[in-house]
Amino acid sequence: MKESLLEILRCPLDKHELELEDAEYADDENANEDEVVSGTLVCTECGERYPIEDGIPNLLPPDMREETPA
Amino acid sequence: MKGQEWYQADDVAQEYDDKRFSKGGQLIDRREKEAVLEAIMPVEDRSVLEIACGTGRFTVMLAEQGADVVGLDISAAMLQQGRSKAQQADPEGTLEFLRGDAGRLPFPDDHFDTVIAMRFFHLADDPEAFLREMRRVSRDQIVFDTFNRFSARSVYNWALPMGSRLYSKSEVSELLAKTNLTLVDVEDDFLAPYGLYRSIPNALASPIRALDEAVGGHPITDHFASVSYWNTELR
Repeated sequence: MKESLLEILRCPLDKHELELEDAEYADDENANEDEVVSGTLVCTECGERYPIEDGIPNLLPPDMREETPA
Repeated sequence: MKGQEWYQADDVAQEYDDKRFSKGGQLIDRREKEAVLEAIMPVEDRSVLEIACGTGRFTVMLAEQGADVVGLDISAAMLQQGRSKAQQADPEGTLEFLRGDAGRLPFPDDHFDTVIAMRFFHLADDPEAFLREMRRVSRDQIVFDTFNRFSARSVYNWALPMGSRLYSKSEVSELLAKTNLTLVDVEDDFLAPYGLYRSIPNALASPIRALDEAVGGHPITDHFASVSYWNTELR
């Protein structure tokens, strides 16, 4: 994901904003914006943590994560 | 949601496009893309959310047309297919994929110009709740398709790994009323079920499709159409 996607992402549980932690970026000199390949999105309200896996943020609510392994 | 495990398996995702949208399936692919474009063009600089984007068939097409698109799906395997498709494309607009639950969308209210959901509602256990959530994040338009009751599709539903929820026209009208949506346009298509098209080669699919087109479009036969494309806007 591009870092700018963060502006429109919300916690699926309470719709509060998310913060990006432990971000790792792809080395792509041609891209005009950095691609986040891994990291964690943390809800600023409830503290729920959502992983970024292979560049794709996983915003499944926690109760759906176990039923739906990657 | 029906068929979750089947849908998320890696091998299913890898073969998904080949199995469904090659051979006679190309006709379906083309017709669905036409229906979506007809409903939502021009999309340049519009923000679009696609629910249940799967391998990104529409997501990539819309980004190529200049839309800023977000594709959401429950399956990581499907999304990776979409992501590699996107890397080969050269979109005018922006393109992002993410994993999430269609019932609890990770977006603020009134964010997208258009929200689309193709081949989604036949799997929905609570269509009203899903449509309500789509409406929450849209500020203008919602486009989706349904498989119809009273169609040839009913006869082979048992064979699908996911089963299928079928809708009558009045059920959909009721859903729209309950969720405060206004119908802009509805189009009906495909008298013969998708499964038939998928199982036959293109040389055979085209004449059958021509027959479909010749017979379809009349008031009586539209009742038996097997898919409807709904174009709606917020009240």
